[in-house]
Amino acid sequence: MEAAFIKSEFSSVAIKKAAYVYINKFSIDISIENDKYLCRLNFNESLNPAQQKYYLNEFKKEVLDQELRESIKKETEDVRNLILAHAFSKTNLIDE
Amino acid sequence: MNDKFQTIDFYQREKTNYQLLPFNFHVLKDDRLIFTNMVGEYYLGNRSLLNKLISKKLDSQSKEYIDLRSKHFFYDDHNDSAKELLSIKYKTKKASLSEFTSLHMFVVTLRCEHSCPYCQVSRQTDDKLKFDMDEETASQAIDFALLSPSKNLKFEFQGGEPLLNFSIIKFIVKEANKRKGDKNISFVIATNLALINSEILSFCEEHDIYISTSLDGPKEIHNKNRPRPGKNSYEKTIDGIKLSQNKLGRDKISALMTTTEESLESVKEIIDEYVKNDLDGIFLRPLSPYGFAIKTKKIIEYNNNKWIDFYKKGLEYIIDINQRGQYFAEFYTSVILKKIFTFQDPGYVDLMSPSGIGIAAIIYNYDGNIFASDEGRMLFEMGDDQFLLGNLKTNTYKEVFLNSKLLDPIEESFSGSVPMCSDCAFENYCGADPTYHYSIFKDFIGRKPESDFCNRNMTIIKHIFELMDSDVNIKKIFLSWIN
Repeated sequence: MEAAFIKSEFSSVAIKKAAYVYINKFSIDISIENDKYLCRLNFNESLNPAQQKYYLNEFKKEVLDQELRESIKKETEDVRNLILAHAFSKTNLIDE
Repeated sequence: MNDKFQTIDFYQREKTNYQLLPFNFHVLKDDRLIFTNMVGEYYLGNRSLLNKLISKKLDSQSKEYIDLRSKHFFYDDHNDSAKELLSIKYKTKKASLSEFTSLHMFVVTLRCEHSCPYCQVSRQTDDKLKFDMDEETASQAIDFALLSPSKNLKFEFQGGEPLLNFSIIKFIVKEANKRKGDKNISFVIATNLALINSEILSFCEEHDIYISTSLDGPKEIHNKNRPRPGKNSYEKTIDGIKLSQNKLGRDKISALMTTTEESLESVKEIIDEYVKNDLDGIFLRPLSPYGFAIKTKKIIEYNNNKWIDFYKKGLEYIIDINQRGQYFAEFYTSVILKKIFTFQDPGYVDLMSPSGIGIAAIIYNYDGNIFASDEGRMLFEMGDDQFLLGNLKTNTYKEVFLNSKLLDPIEESFSGSVPMCSDCAFENYCGADPTYHYSIFKDFIGRKPESDFCNRNMTIIKHIFELMDSDVNIKKIFLSWIN
């Protein structure tokens, strides 16, 4: 089974993270064709066709969620680092 | 005019310009989602709320806006101090790390008169005195434990069956109290209670010692799981519980159970046994993949999903007991709830990140060997010395705590930097458990989708939130378990 994601809308990081979540269900070959990431899912033999279809859909949803997580992470990375740095320092954040 | 207060214009102006603070989310059932921030504060909502939050389209007058702002999911002109408050909360959550090590486990003997097939420990028969801790080793262990920066220490006596070497327990309690200086020490004996008697209980009463025992359920299940000469483990345990409750008070004794295949269909009967014996909670516990549980293949009798079903049915029944007006807690759920609702880490080693091995709990074996965790000791008995940190007779405190066998697993397994954990909305409530993952995968992390530890905890934590989301009375019951 295959899934394709437009390069301009999805990051390879989100696709890889989503694939990792289902590492116990399938392995994945990722290639780039034209303007898309093409993902070929190699399911475990124990999964029947209905289960394979289910996990393909779950994988697509997970890519979307991972994309959201990446966008939150990107937007909040600086403030996260600032908060952590402050937590382990003795300085006052506002006065600095 | 008092310029300590903002003018009314300040509060009336539009405030849609907010900045996100770090957070994660996880999908629950029925289109519900949980959002958690970097210190574990949570908010339950739906997909539409998530989209509005991220795209900065939340209505500044809405309840969600006020709630999410107050829980530090974003900041605007009105809560400039959000970053500082988050950093203080983060620091508070991690403050216990500098207060290591609080739990010190003394394996006073490997001897045991039980022969439980699921035993995690490589017990010895009760006539082999060479497996007893002697006074010299015990004395070294006390001195070592008292070097801990933590002011509040707990000494737990384990075995085998620790009461088979009760003389060394008395020695340790008396010597520790003499040497403790300004530290506070509490004592616990983890015993099957078969050997408990009034002399032992008098000593426990005099020195404020707690009792922790094993009760696997009704007579048939308990005696099948925990064979001993006379086939009377259940009777001995129940007699011991009553004797201890009468002498020490019911708050001084607790029990835990281990799930075997025999237990799976009897969770209500097991819980009823605890209620009947006036215990105020139960620890529903799966088998651990160590020691005799591996040798006797007990560990493969049921899979993770069956245990999770067992836990869910048990939790439902326990909630029902509480709804009928009786206080009764499930202790594993209580640990997770404490991590959800407080900034105080409950110190449960398996659910800590950085891992609590060595720094939350440390083990002194009967022969002076020092282990980073109880499970590390079990692995050693199975021929793997990965978590053997040194020996009381030959190694200094500094050598033990700077040993790479301790520092490497703690550093490598830190869930904030582990694949999947670092993006997980439940990371604040879960743990690293490098010993478990090492025992299964031979590395400290493992692949989380293949990890029963990850699957079990994700499912349990998700279930806890779904229950609280479905019924405010369940949330009230859960809150009563925190303290």
